[in-house]
Amino acid sequence: MALHKSEYKGLLGWIDSRMPTLMSEYKKHMSEYYAPKNFDFWYFFGSFALVVLVIQIVTGIFLVMHYKPDARFAFESVEYIMRDVPGGWFIRYMHSTGASFFFIVVYLHMFRGLLYGSYRKPRELVWIFGCLIFLCLMGEAFFGYLLPWGQMSYWGAQVIVNLFSAIPLIGPDLSVWIRGDYVVSDATLNRFFAFHVIAIPLVLLGLVVAHILALHDVGSNNPDGIEIKDRKGPDGKPLDGIPFHPYYTVHDIFGLAIFLMVFFAVVFLAPEMGGYFLEWNNFIPADPLVTPPHIAPVWYFTPFYSILRATTSDFMWVLAAGTAAYAALIYFALPRGRWRYATLAATLVVLVLMLPKSPLALDPKFWGVVLMGVSVLIFFALPWIDQSPVKSMRYRPGWHFWLLIGFVVDFLVLGYLGTQPPAPTLTYIAQLGTLLYFAFFFLMPWWSRAGECKPMPERVTFAAH
Amino acid sequence: MKRTITAVALGLFATGVLAASAGAPLDRWPDRSKDLAALQNGARIFANYCLGCHSANLMRWNRLNEIGLDDKQIKDFLIFGPQKVGDTMTIAMNPKDAKAWFGKTPPDLSVIARARTSFEYAGADYLYTLLRGYYRDATSPTGWNNVVYPYIGMPHILWELQGPREVTIERTAHAVKGLVRTTTTIDAEGRATVTSIPVTGETGETMTVSFKSLAPQLARQYDSDIADLVAYLVFMTEPVRADRVRMGVWVLLYLALFTVVAWRLNAVYWKDVK
Amino acid sequence: MSTPTTAAEAADGERRTAVIATCVVGGAGAVAALVPFVSSFAPSERAKAAGAPVEVDLSSVAPGEMKTVEWRGKPVWILHRTPEMIDEVKNTAADRLADPNSERTAYPTPPYAKNTLRSIKPEYFIAVGICTHLGCSPVGPKAPNTDPALGPDAGFLCPCHGSTFDLAGRVFKNKPAPDNLEVPPHKYLSDAVVLIGDDSKA
Repeated sequence: MALHKSEYKGLLGWIDSRMPTLMSEYKKHMSEYYAPKNFDFWYFFGSFALVVLVIQIVTGIFLVMHYKPDARFAFESVEYIMRDVPGGWFIRYMHSTGASFFFIVVYLHMFRGLLYGSYRKPRELVWIFGCLIFLCLMGEAFFGYLLPWGQMSYWGAQVIVNLFSAIPLIGPDLSVWIRGDYVVSDATLNRFFAFHVIAIPLVLLGLVVAHILALHDVGSNNPDGIEIKDRKGPDGKPLDGIPFHPYYTVHDIFGLAIFLMVFFAVVFLAPEMGGYFLEWNNFIPADPLVTPPHIAPVWYFTPFYSILRATTSDFMWVLAAGTAAYAALIYFALPRGRWRYATLAATLVVLVLMLPKSPLALDPKFWGVVLMGVSVLIFFALPWIDQSPVKSMRYRPGWHFWLLIGFVVDFLVLGYLGTQPPAPTLTYIAQLGTLLYFAFFFLMPWWSRAGECKPMPERVTFAAH
Repeated sequence: MKRTITAVALGLFATGVLAASAGAPLDRWPDRSKDLAALQNGARIFANYCLGCHSANLMRWNRLNEIGLDDKQIKDFLIFGPQKVGDTMTIAMNPKDAKAWFGKTPPDLSVIARARTSFEYAGADYLYTLLRGYYRDATSPTGWNNVVYPYIGMPHILWELQGPREVTIERTAHAVKGLVRTTTTIDAEGRATVTSIPVTGETGETMTVSFKSLAPQLARQYDSDIADLVAYLVFMTEPVRADRVRMGVWVLLYLALFTVVAWRLNAVYWKDVK
Repeated sequence: MSTPTTAAEAADGERRTAVIATCVVGGAGAVAALVPFVSSFAPSERAKAAGAPVEVDLSSVAPGEMKTVEWRGKPVWILHRTPEMIDEVKNTAADRLADPNSERTAYPTPPYAKNTLRSIKPEYFIAVGICTHLGCSPVGPKAPNTDPALGPDAGFLCPCHGSTFDLAGRVFKNKPAPDNLEVPPHKYLSDAVVLIGDDSKA
């Protein structure tokens, strides 16, 4: 019986000789994973996201010990946790704060990707797993939000599930099937509970593992956007790389300390965050007969919700014009041949379905859902629509960076508008914001190639500290 | 946070159940949340006047230990039924009956201070103004109306504690030909005198309310009692609040210490990196 | 530990100190963070309220009768013993009982019930009506010579495996049950009212 010869002693040696994978994986992913030494502030958010995931899972487990997923008892079981379970209030506030912080961290993590071109070849798959994680996160938040069974929980779920009824032909039946009932009810609560507590967390864990494995296989990007594996030393290690453990483990612990200060400041001093993290209307038990005067999704969905709401029948004309203009752009960018004809045909079909006066026109309600969907899914396309010769904003023409900042401002404005009740002026702004949002992405193949890039350095920019 | 609720000219707010836009400007609740005597007085008023129709099913009687009342005091002075001090503040009234009698089941008040908060005003301000905003109104089914929540289904239960008052409501609103200011004066018996004048030089819809008490001493005592009652409602909505803030300060101090330690740990390793 | 002689050793020493400091400070925080999670397992206020002491009005229990109330999900018997029943207990020979002086500790007998009659007042016997063998609820009180399992003794018979107890809840020898019936904490609030579940002096 051949035992693998282990370099380790004691208990570790015993395990290593029987399961060499443990230490070989540890070396591969931690003590011998060479990460660029010039990581900056933006590189904290991946590990913060992992920490928040753990926080949500642990606090979630403890909440499920006391929560009752039954429409008769759900609301009071949450207050039972807040009042009667020792330490329950702390666990609940950590979970509700964690939900919002998850999105803050993930948005900042994605911004890093845009800033430094982290999604560019060879890291497209890392980015795709990340986008899938983002989708799962949105689903997880949506399903979880129904569980407290307050007014916002109930009506938010009602509105979002009804979005599916916008799908032609199968919509209304699909909505009934999703709900398990004609309106959001106990049946819906129970299945959303199953999704939130088990189904999506399992998928999320799998995707996070895939995300990290895919990253480690190609190696991390860095703020300069140069590939450290291109310059290796005589030992075969990247010259600009340092072992993740211990350098980035201690670096991340420091960052985490500050992050936890902010996190627990919210948990202890302002868990409701003015009504954005814990919405006031959700302290009213769900009432199927009374709709709150002002339903808005939780803050992290508001940019996309803004885009949904901006799609009015008047706006369809603008969108149709934009689609036609974009189709023309693509037509002339393509070589002669069948792709050109395909573009024309597809555009014609879409216009027939879009234009309000057309007999086959689909409701703006449907197109709003489509636009909202595209506004999220477009992120998947980034590795291919960004065609700049240079990965990182540091070496791109200055105006590229300002365009990105413009996009961020647009995203924030759309987000703010999504929290406000509808009004004519605000709708115009949201519509403009929607056009700018899509312009940023759909015109990226052109603008990313324009302008004079700055010369790239041979080695990463790093100052010893 | 805006305390004044006005129906904004841009039509940003829909009138709804809470009548935020049709209602009067809200008064600031004097914060008595750290005053144990006020909290106890508020608990007393709550148990004596509110708990007949309103339940507080999520609040346990013995939680009142935290505002300085012992089990015996709670049992002797606050619990009027057969409940034990460990029970929750349930009531005997059947919600279905209540709906039939009052038109709407009186809501459970366990988390009312949070439920009535919005982005524009604190729930405490809302409740403080609501409970002091009643006036006699011959046109209302209960004989009472409320400047914060017009035609509220709850009559002025505490009217004896407040004493008789007159109210003058001045409302500037859009009519067929421009803005019109309607001044309604209602006396203590509910008889209204209304005058309307067109207004020039203004653009916004506004509402001001002023009360004149015919028993000022009583009304002042009432205001203080309501401030105490609202302090109690704020306590009841989240009994752990004072504790969590106190704990939070210690946690943040600890984390600041940990940050310094972690910073040194980081520095010690990174000085090797050239 | 010898003083570091090279720069590398000094650096290692520095690293070690920093790591230890971080572990100590961080560990303290981690333990503190665990406290709410661990305590969330403890009985909640709702559980404590449901387990609260129960007041029983004794005037409703006639001599010779037994009343059963629920405390912490268990049946608690209040038996109003007649003078004949008290004599029965006193006349039972100690060598026929497994634990005549209530000395066993599996279900410790409270000090105020460590007497022959196992009660504070001789006329009221208060015990948890659960057989100390495997948890069935015994039947009774039965008078002498009314049940072959008890024979000439008065007392309680557990139908599941045949354990028998006298009118002070003491288990007879050679029966499956090893212990006397549990006497719950209790105290008299007045001559006619007993509080079951609380025996504090306050």
